Amino acid sequence: MSQIIAKKPSHPAILYTKAILLDAFLWSYIALVAYKVIYDRIILDNRYPEFTWSQPLNALLLGLAISLLFIFTSFSVGKSTMGLLKKKNEDDVSGFKINHLIFYTALILTFVTGYIVSQISVREFFSESGIEGAKRIFTALLNPNFQIFEQGLFAAIETIYMAFIATVVAIPIAFILGFFAARNLMNGNPFNFFIYNTIRAILNISRSIEPLVWAIIFSVWVGIGPFSGMLALCLHSIASLTKQYSEQIESIDNGPIEAITATGAHPIQIVWFGVVPQIVLPYLSYTIYRWDINVRMATIIGLVGGGGIGNLLMQYQGQARWNEVGMLVIIIASIVWVMDWASSKLREALK
Amino acid sequence: MLDIKNLNKIYPNGYHALSNISFSVPKGEFLVVIGLSGSGKSTMLRTFNRLHDVTSGEILFNGVDTTKLKGSALRKMRSEIGMIFQHFNLIPRKTVLENVLSGNLSRTGIFKSILGIYAKEDKEKAMRYIEIVGLKGKEKNRADNLSGGQQQRVAIARALMQNPKILLADEPVASLDPSTSNSVMQYLKKVNEELGVTVICNLHFLSLVRQYAHRVVALKAGKLIYDGKPTEINEEWFKTIYGEDAVEVTIN
Repeated sequence: MSQIIAKKPSHPAILYTKAILLDAFLWSYIALVAYKVIYDRIILDNRYPEFTWSQPLNALLLGLAISLLFIFTSFSVGKSTMGLLKKKNEDDVSGFKINHLIFYTALILTFVTGYIVSQISVREFFSESGIEGAKRIFTALLNPNFQIFEQGLFAAIETIYMAFIATVVAIPIAFILGFFAARNLMNGNPFNFFIYNTIRAILNISRSIEPLVWAIIFSVWVGIGPFSGMLALCLHSIASLTKQYSEQIESIDNGPIEAITATGAHPIQIVWFGVVPQIVLPYLSYTIYRWDINVRMATIIGLVGGGGIGNLLMQYQGQARWNEVGMLVIIIASIVWVMDWASSKLREALK
Repeated sequence: MLDIKNLNKIYPNGYHALSNISFSVPKGEFLVVIGLSGSGKSTMLRTFNRLHDVTSGEILFNGVDTTKLKGSALRKMRSEIGMIFQHFNLIPRKTVLENVLSGNLSRTGIFKSILGIYAKEDKEKAMRYIEIVGLKGKEKNRADNLSGGQQQRVAIARALMQNPKILLADEPVASLDPSTSNSVMQYLKKVNEELGVTVICNLHFLSLVRQYAHRVVALKAGKLIYDGKPTEINEEWFKTIYGEDAVEVTIN
């Protein structure tokens, strides 16, 4: 476990509190998982173990007790993370093996929990009926029905245009928001900083909701079809592009801004001549990449009624018409491949 | 032309960058500011055109206190003071002509400048200044493809485009080789003598100071410790300004 050395040494009391909390969290986690998974699930073999809120609470108390006990010893992971352990010798790392052991215990417990939660079953994977079903589906997929090629192609074109318009609508909005979301332009006064924080918060929230969920919301709002998909993609693109744009603005060279300010230029001119020339190319690159992502996302969004080829795919999949699905998968794969290739070529040319 | 009275600058982190600096600069002077890195030279220069705000004190530019100016009055004051920088600070990806024209932004409408519409006489003026700094024929070249010395000359032309009364130069030759340094300094001298622009210049090399300065002021830890003729900086003053261990290096 590496030591994190803070630049400004905090007060020892704060460091010790942090160390205790870290230890308490680690031990509660180990205690809870060991009880629920190792004892309840594996040893007692309960398929659906009973859950009460007193269990995590007890685990928390136990963890806190252990951490309070351990804070006086060198077994404390929190202490070593906070840099509170004094080494006898700078190169001596042998003394911290116990900490490693605790850490790996937590890691192994997490792995075992994951294995059980995912209901991994080798038997089902290789079961006879299972393999039979897989064979059927793969044969159908590998024999695509070329009669729906035209239908699939038109749906795919719809998807590409939907992704394109979502990107294009997002560009000007993200372009303007990008300036307000850039820390180096907005930390001048408290009011600007408030705007900066508000925009950042809204963007983070809308970005953390998947476009798939947005598509469902919009399909209720404007009805099922490409429009709802386009709105979902557009919103997601605005949030993502604004973040990328503002990060680009944050990394620009301050020199030209200083020079243009010194000529007595208006703030709008300062942005246009001092900032914009430095960001045009990265912006273009991000935008092309966003279109590429949007085309891929648009096929997925179609699955929940966002229109385009995804919609078609869902229809045929629902009817278990695997030959048609095979055709659509081929079309989607080739579009993604072409978009990927074209966008990387374009972005390379822009460098 | 410029009267500085009891200038103080304290950064938000409490660092006292300039303390109680007072001096005046008469019209037409070539003033050089010397001092170690971190002595406050750059900060002081940037307070003159308000790239940095002062904490207290007055800066009288032609009798007007510039420390309180706001909005268009501030921009008007800035437009009368040109500035060049150590790293040239040209607009990347733009041509030499566009860079020089950007010196005229304060007198160009916002929409016209964004659309790139410049008056014919402004373009002619820009071409004239490009010729003055010896870059005729390079108008259409991208400014960031030029050599360091050429970029600094573009920066000088851009500053001249403002019709400045004062030209501030923040270590204009610090990132150039010796011979280019001399040529850039020659252009500054030309600007000072032929166009009558007052020049205030931060420099590191004393040989250049002796060659070009009419007058020298020296800063040490934010305080003004020397104000006089460049020829009067003897060994003793040199040690006071740059520290006991300093050895003078020459540049030719």
